[in-house]
Amino acid sequence: MGARRQPGAGKVLRGLAMRRPLKEAGVLLVIALTATAASWALRPDRLPLRADPAFYRLELDAPLIDPGPALALYDEGQDLFVDTRPAPPGSLPTIPGAVPIRAASFDDDLLDLFDFLAPDDPVILFGDGNLVPVSNIAARLKERGYGNVRILRGGIKAWIKAQGPVTGTASGKEGS
Amino acid sequence: MMRWLGLFCRLAVGGVFVFASWDKLLHPAAFAAAVDHYHLVPYPLLHPMAYALPLLELITGTALILGLCRRGAALIAGCLTVVFMIAIGSALIRGLDITCGCFHTDGGHAVGISLLVRDLVLLVMCWPPLWLADAGPRVPFLCKKD
Repeated sequence: MGARRQPGAGKVLRGLAMRRPLKEAGVLLVIALTATAASWALRPDRLPLRADPAFYRLELDAPLIDPGPALALYDEGQDLFVDTRPAPPGSLPTIPGAVPIRAASFDDDLLDLFDFLAPDDPVILFGDGNLVPVSNIAARLKERGYGNVRILRGGIKAWIKAQGPVTGTASGKEGS
Repeated sequence: MMRWLGLFCRLAVGGVFVFASWDKLLHPAAFAAAVDHYHLVPYPLLHPMAYALPLLELITGTALILGLCRRGAALIAGCLTVVFMIAIGSALIRGLDITCGCFHTDGGHAVGISLLVRDLVLLVMCWPPLWLADAGPRVPFLCKKD
């Protein structure tokens, strides 16, 4: 009674056996964290370190497509690219072949496309990178029966960054 | 016999982790969105995790395949698998209709019981490389010999 129990040999061995995996795991974690920091710092298209909740909470009315896959679809020539920015057509650099559908002149712009845009045709919408106005256009297109709509993630800026072709302007500079 | 079992598990788990990391490494934004669908990770940690997790998977998988630090790698692989199971389980309990984001950031498997079973098999396969004294040949540098 009152005698202290010595830890069993099995327990000691198990403790010693776990020390090494923990040490190795620590080494691998340090390597992974260092690689993460380097990867984040070196990537040209890196995400901001702190995520913007508004971006993720936004319920979009169409799925997003990254510039890379969008560029491949552009080369295939099957999808119609739609510029949703409010500026008058031709005043800003845009994707060659893109047609304008602007919120302010939605019905007129859509009427211009009526002859060659079928409801099932694949459409990729893009703007200046702000998803809210583009999503609104997507919602209105869906109301009119155009269901095959996607939104270019990052808009025209991401497209230019991905080295997608753009039309030039007199000034040669992209507007906001 | 046990040696071959250890080697098989090491290569299988390592291969799965390397394969799983690839698409996430290429598309961190899409992976961050996939993680966000679980509603488990706070926003300040979302982007760091979108970069760190695929790299941890890649390094862990590579270490298992090469047999470097394989016990530590198996321990991390097991812990990650448990975390994935918790995330999938919680999504199932909350009735979230999402894709798992395990291997592909664009689409992929919908969260379901089959994913939990798959992860359970993966978890069991982490055991031999962690506990066996000999789990097959390894690249002979960097870590101490078993």
